[in-house]
Amino acid sequence: MMTLVVGGSASGKSEYAEGLILSAAGWPRVYIATMQPFDEECFRRIEKHRLMRAGKSFETVECYTGLASVTMPENSAVLLECMSNLCANEMYSPQGSGENAQKAVLEGVERLRRQCRDLVIVSNEVFSGGSRYQGDTLRYLELLGRVNCALAAMADNVCEVVYGVPVYYKGGEPN
Amino acid sequence: MILIVGPLCSGKKAAAMQLLHCDEQELSRRAVWDVQELAAKSGDLPALAGELARYEAVIATEVGGGVVPADAEERAAREAAGRLCCLLARRADAVVRVFCGIPVVIKGELS
Repeated sequence: MMTLVVGGSASGKSEYAEGLILSAAGWPRVYIATMQPFDEECFRRIEKHRLMRAGKSFETVECYTGLASVTMPENSAVLLECMSNLCANEMYSPQGSGENAQKAVLEGVERLRRQCRDLVIVSNEVFSGGSRYQGDTLRYLELLGRVNCALAAMADNVCEVVYGVPVYYKGGEPN
Repeated sequence: MILIVGPLCSGKKAAAMQLLHCDEQELSRRAVWDVQELAAKSGDLPALAGELARYEAVIATEVGGGVVPADAEERAAREAAGRLCCLLARRADAVVRVFCGIPVVIKGELS
């Protein structure tokens, strides 16, 4: 079972996605963290998410690029957060796949989906601020937009989280 | 005419091809996209809406979200884009909003 959870910043999407994993039957619970810390603000953000997951029995795996090389236990419930970071890393990081970012990310997700029992992927709604973007920003938006569409097509369930309230566009809340 | 709207890079053209059962080449004859960019250059939005309504599908990127632009020209362009889409939505038999490639009918019915 694969669920795509999309939302704007601070929309409550992480907490909702964690809840989906907590009520899923898969075990162990694995959290794939994609945010590569560059500065103090990143560390604070990561710490906030760690505290939110505390006591929920997640095993954390860090993956900044190369999702296809990650191996998950059979029957696991996996939460990948966040696709916006993974796409940026694949596109811009020296270890990333650059122009092949889309392929790298989607192949990674496909592999993940086959390995685990429950998969929840969190992605970001960053497309509603207009259309006049250029250069690297536009290329990044095109990548994340294509990846979001492809994930939505793969997923059994797709929802947008609006201030903690899930709105389903495909399927429905699992379990 | 079907009006297809949605945020940037949300899969609007792919949804249009699916709805019209056609490929990209055929889509360029039967549909028109990025109409939000045409609004700013037009002095007559109702006339522009009338022209665009001759297509089977009209595709627009929603640009009304976010902070009002500080630049006067961009502000006017965004205003015109929104007004144009309101005129198109009124004329449209159906309005479809696309979210991550998933079409949601928000007005009328798809035949």
